Amino acid sequence: MATCMSENGSERKLEFFLKVPFPSEREATIALQSLSPDPEPRKGGISKNLDVSGQTLSVRWTADEARILRVSVSSFLDHLSLVMETMDAFGPPVSQ
Amino acid sequence: MTVVIGFEGSANKIGVGIIRDGEVLSNPRRTYITPPGQGFLPGETAKHHRSVILTVLQEALDEAGLKSADIDCVAYTKGPGMGAPLVTVAVVARTVAQLWGKPLLGVNHCIGHIEMGRLITNAQNPTVLYVSGGNTQVIAYSERRYRIFGETIDIAVGNCLDRFARVIKISNDPSPGYNIEQMAKKGTKFIELPYTVKGMDVSFSGILSYIEDAAHKMLSTSQCTPEDLCFSLQETLFAMLVEITERAMAHCGSQEVLIVGGVGCNMRLQEMMGVMCKERGARIFATDESFCIDNGAMIAQAGWEMFRSGHVTELLDSWITQRYRTDEVEVTWRD
Repeated sequence: MATCMSENGSERKLEFFLKVPFPSEREATIALQSLSPDPEPRKGGISKNLDVSGQTLSVRWTADEARILRVSVSSFLDHLSLVMETMDAFGPPVSQ
Repeated sequence: MTVVIGFEGSANKIGVGIIRDGEVLSNPRRTYITPPGQGFLPGETAKHHRSVILTVLQEALDEAGLKSADIDCVAYTKGPGMGAPLVTVAVVARTVAQLWGKPLLGVNHCIGHIEMGRLITNAQNPTVLYVSGGNTQVIAYSERRYRIFGETIDIAVGNCLDRFARVIKISNDPSPGYNIEQMAKKGTKFIELPYTVKGMDVSFSGILSYIEDAAHKMLSTSQCTPEDLCFSLQETLFAMLVEITERAMAHCGSQEVLIVGGVGCNMRLQEMMGVMCKERGARIFATDESFCIDNGAMIAQAGWEMFRSGHVTELLDSWITQRYRTDEVEVTWRD
């Protein structure tokens, strides 16, 4: 869900929140560690924050422009989808 | 016994390979091929890799007859290369490393080529010519680093060939370079092109603009055929590469040349390098297309060397990078 916090037409930050449920906390953490190391390709204008709470991976974006936000979210969803497919095909995680 | 699985996808090839103590157990690969006249863009290339990587991974395990528990280390290309494809591959490597509880290893793509070349050919201490669509470097090992003795100051030689292929709409299947090579064999007329060796280095962007222009002018007036242009381009580019390789050999007192990278498949380049080597009493080493062209096993092999000498990449440090110099890595596995 994207919230635009601009009332008088001036530049305000756009935000996007995503919560992704996983079968276990371990798998949510695996996803987090697979998806967080790479920096955003575009250095300015966007920031992304990943966190795990229980079995849920939550992601929070802050962007200056809708276009930049859209590209980042779209790219993240592609990679998230790939992580989940990898877990389906090569999981479940081995016991530690 | 050490078994390493390697993931490679920095350009348009996606490969997963498994090596066990110097033996290649499997090395499947897929290539993203674009229509004639078009190059491959990062987003579409990454999309291609995403769509096939898990299939290729399963193939690698099946062909090797191994299960994930048999793997000791997961290696992947940290860089250099194209951003989006690198991320796609890294994400899968990180995920399986965690699922299987195995250590992760980020590998330098150029070093992957070198280590595979050394393994296959058994060259002892060669002057390495690394030539591909993305890189052109002359490298020699010295005191724990692969030192760059000469390189392109602008585009890679393979990039020059690939972009020329687009101008005359040569097919990209199996690769533009291969098709230029076949056409060059039928060329008869040599067209003079700029020859731009700069000391130890080379430059290709001037030759590219020159030949793109020449192609339009000369082909429309039938002054020459596309085959003549292919022939002339290869002769010029490869002579330049032979020159800078010879210069590095003279500096190092080296008696061996190893050619790695996709352009290294080219038989004419190997032939010309062979002539120079014979004149110097040196030996030339090259590998076949399974190993010249980007593949997973080369990453596994470099990973094998690195892992056994104690390297490991923490997940937090496993970010990919489009720029990664060959001499940035400390080569702890050689004296």
